Amino acid sequence: MINDLRFAFRLLLKNRTYTLVAIAALAFSVGANTAIFSAINSLLLRPLPVEEIDRLVYPIALREGFDPFGSSLIEYVAYRDRGHSFVSSGAAAQRSFNLTGHGEPERVRGATVMATYLTTLGVKPALGRIFTADEDRPSGPAVVLISYEFWQRHFGGKAGVIGETLNLEGRNYNIVGVLPPGFDLPGAAEVWLPLQANIDSLPLVERAASNYEIAARLKPGVPLKQADTELKAIARQLEGEYPEFRRGWGVKVISLRQQLLGDLEGRVHKALFALMGGVGFLLLICCANIANLQLARGIARERELALRRALGASRGRLVRQLFTESILLAVLGGIGGLLLAYWLVPALAALNPIQGISLAAFLRHFEIDGRVLSFALVVSLLAGVISGLLPALKGAGADELMPRIKQGDQRSGGAASRQWLNSLIVAEIAIAMTLLICGGLIVQTFQRLQHVDLGFHPKNLLTLKMTLPESKYSEYQKRVAFNDQVLDRIKNLSGVVSAGSTTNIPLEREIAYDARFEIEGRVPSNPNEVLITSHRIVSPDYLKTIGITLMSGRFIDENDRAGSLPVVVISEELARQAWPGQDPLGKRLKRVRAGQTFPWMTVVGVVKNVKEDLFNYRINRPVWYVPYAQVENHFPVNLVVRTKNDPTSLTAAAREAIRAIDPDQPVSSVMTMNTNLSGVLVTERFSAVLMAALAGSGLLLASIGLYGVMAYSVNQRTSEIGVRVALGAQPRHVFQLIMGHGMKLTLLGVAIGLLAAWSATRLLVSLLFGLGARDATTFSAITLLLGIVGLLACYLPARSAMRLNPVEALRYE
Amino acid sequence: MNNGSKPLIHLEDVTKVFLTDEVETHALSGIHLDIKDGEYVSIAGPSGCGKSTLLSILGLLDTPSGGSYSLKGSEVANLSFPERARIRNREIGFIFQSFNLIGDLTVYENVELPLTYRGMSSGDRKSAVTQALERVGMGHRAKHLPSQLSGGQQQRVAVARALAGKPAILLADEPTGNLDSRNGEAVMELLRELHAAGATICMVTHDPRFAQNADRTVHLFDGRVVEDNRIAA
Repeated sequence: MINDLRFAFRLLLKNRTYTLVAIAALAFSVGANTAIFSAINSLLLRPLPVEEIDRLVYPIALREGFDPFGSSLIEYVAYRDRGHSFVSSGAAAQRSFNLTGHGEPERVRGATVMATYLTTLGVKPALGRIFTADEDRPSGPAVVLISYEFWQRHFGGKAGVIGETLNLEGRNYNIVGVLPPGFDLPGAAEVWLPLQANIDSLPLVERAASNYEIAARLKPGVPLKQADTELKAIARQLEGEYPEFRRGWGVKVISLRQQLLGDLEGRVHKALFALMGGVGFLLLICCANIANLQLARGIARERELALRRALGASRGRLVRQLFTESILLAVLGGIGGLLLAYWLVPALAALNPIQGISLAAFLRHFEIDGRVLSFALVVSLLAGVISGLLPALKGAGADELMPRIKQGDQRSGGAASRQWLNSLIVAEIAIAMTLLICGGLIVQTFQRLQHVDLGFHPKNLLTLKMTLPESKYSEYQKRVAFNDQVLDRIKNLSGVVSAGSTTNIPLEREIAYDARFEIEGRVPSNPNEVLITSHRIVSPDYLKTIGITLMSGRFIDENDRAGSLPVVVISEELARQAWPGQDPLGKRLKRVRAGQTFPWMTVVGVVKNVKEDLFNYRINRPVWYVPYAQVENHFPVNLVVRTKNDPTSLTAAAREAIRAIDPDQPVSSVMTMNTNLSGVLVTERFSAVLMAALAGSGLLLASIGLYGVMAYSVNQRTSEIGVRVALGAQPRHVFQLIMGHGMKLTLLGVAIGLLAAWSATRLLVSLLFGLGARDATTFSAITLLLGIVGLLACYLPARSAMRLNPVEALRYE
Repeated sequence: MNNGSKPLIHLEDVTKVFLTDEVETHALSGIHLDIKDGEYVSIAGPSGCGKSTLLSILGLLDTPSGGSYSLKGSEVANLSFPERARIRNREIGFIFQSFNLIGDLTVYENVELPLTYRGMSSGDRKSAVTQALERVGMGHRAKHLPSQLSGGQQQRVAVARALAGKPAILLADEPTGNLDSRNGEAVMELLRELHAAGATICMVTHDPRFAQNADRTVHLFDGRVVEDNRIAA
């Protein structure tokens, strides 16, 4: 074995060009595979600070049967009491708190949680303890848990933090525990308060409020699908029991990992596996290239191998020798690949595909750990085996020794060997074709999604978020006054074009507020028909500020105050659903909520469709805008400021304007609208960039492979070309001969690739937008592209064949 | 094909100089050679004497460094590559030592190949190929691949390929070099028959026995014609 290794090293050193090309190709392929696997490892495989993650699931409430939304305590109790799939469950509500007494007032993310929420997740505190059942009872003690990072930031990691107090929303809470590093569920919580709710005694409206997320632990051996089926049945029961709240709602049970990735529809999973498939294809192309190189070398080494056999080497012994060479090459390529991966992984992390915000310390940190290293090793060895097996078997398999020994260094390469080279290059082209078509579809999807009409103009917009504390702004009029004063000040800042406020910034990663509604004079034909719209409560000038297009009527203005006629501005989609083919202006609709009465609102304006919801980016959903002054609410106040120049230049001035009115009011998430939007298509961008890179690499490798095979073929056919020229072949005949051979291989590869892509693209259907999985344009364009690349790859060898000196060519005979 | 007293091939003071690493090698020097229509000429000489270079120039595979070469009365020494290819295709038939049949083509396709380059119609090609194969006794092997034939049979096919286009001259480079004596003798017999039927043949050979088959033997040494013997019938 040592001798085999020594000889293999010597051979690799002797053929430096071959060695470098092969190692570079392997390094590229192993590096790409390792980098993508590091993403999969971080997102899907790495342990998280919860217990037995594979048994943790989240039932997601689906409004309108498809729209992911918060769950209610009605559901929580029903799933807990009627279901048989879970060993435990708990609910939590994301909240944010104004933190005072620790330097500048700060808005911190937090949650109110049931004690069972944390025990279900199996969280082990880093310090102190988690909530007891006693602390979670109504009127229980004022206790708080803090995150590890919050502990480090605000207490410097002080060991004696347990028992200290934290002032949240003006009330002091005793710190009883510090949760483990990186743990921040739900949302990106930094502080946790016990929910302390007696669910049974809560009013129905509160029990029905969709403000919670439910975590549940499956009983051992219970599959997720079974829990999903069970909960769907319970959800149907709830529809009948609470029609005014639950009609039209469904449920879907997903794994905790899926929830963490914000991946209800499994797009991230699919994108990751599509990419893994892509890099797998790339590895195959690379292996085929290396195998081709080795085959060509094997043909050149026929005499040496025949001599070895003549001297008594068994076939197995020669296979081992050749295999050692391949594995050595693969290991060297693997080391190169790993170095490349160290460089690629941070770039990949920057393109992180996940929408979720929880456990970011784990999910957004791609790294090369032991598992990734093992993967790289396995991939390298696999590449060695795949690329080396055929050449080893072919090289060691010669039965007729004497002709091979006699041939000296003449070029041989019989038809069978050429056949193998041809087959491998056809396979390469077919794989590249499949990769290119899949990549083409994904890239086009991203482009189309990028060019989706948002319905507003995001350029030069600054956004700021505020939650007015109830302790200070308990009266609604105070909140309206604060809002008006802030807007007045900001509008008067130099460089500001206009400003407005809304309850949700379009496409932000926060809970989006919706409303059920009814249309005046229309009785639902189907009792299950539930009309739901995105519900935005906005200031005058908001619609103008973000650049929404008015189709008819007017925007909300200063005259739409409390006491005046309740008005609403609706989107075209809402108009289409409510009054198809009619003019909606002057017509009325109203919000519906059990236990509450809302006034009829008159439609005063219709605006172009606006992308308000992140989760409904791909479709047009109804949206309505109602005047802030006319609707009493406790929703957050989000400011949107249009500026003449760079919006970030106004950040300090805007903060100062708010501080001038209320120095204690925290402001958070100050960013441009474009920054906010950059998070919208992260999964699609991740897939598109990587698939484009993979497809491009596949094309490059395949074209290099085709060029190599054609150049090798010309070399092998030198004598034949000489004969043809001697028989009177014109240069164009020789050119046509080589081009014809190359194009035959290319077209065969393209044809097989088309068939493969025809099947493979079906798996991408759910990732695509605006085009079909068998988009004729993509299939045609990629076919044309590969045809052109094939022509180019064959051109140089064909040209050199055409220029062969017939006398020299015939000397090869 | 007889142009009266004009030879089919006329070489006048032909030289061929190769430049290798700034060293001039005179492969041919002052070659004067006439080959008449219907003549059977053998070219002999030791290795490296310039036989193959001379054959390459005669076959328009290479151009002379000096002197003139006229084929059927036309100067052909300095024609362009495509023009030489055209003349080679129509006027010259090659027979190589190692047969040089194309392994991926059948016997029929091998013989058909020069006719295809000529742009001959399919019907004419079929008739010419069939005739040539019958003439060398290989008609029954038309659909075989070269690898399915013996060496002697392969050389017969190569002769058929050279003949099919009815060239003005057949150039044979050691046609028996890769054959055993029995097959070698058979090929020489075939050439004798062709000559008897009027073919002009120029053959390079080492073997004095086979050189005796020709009307004339031209001896080369160090790139010069040192002897030009007409053999008595």
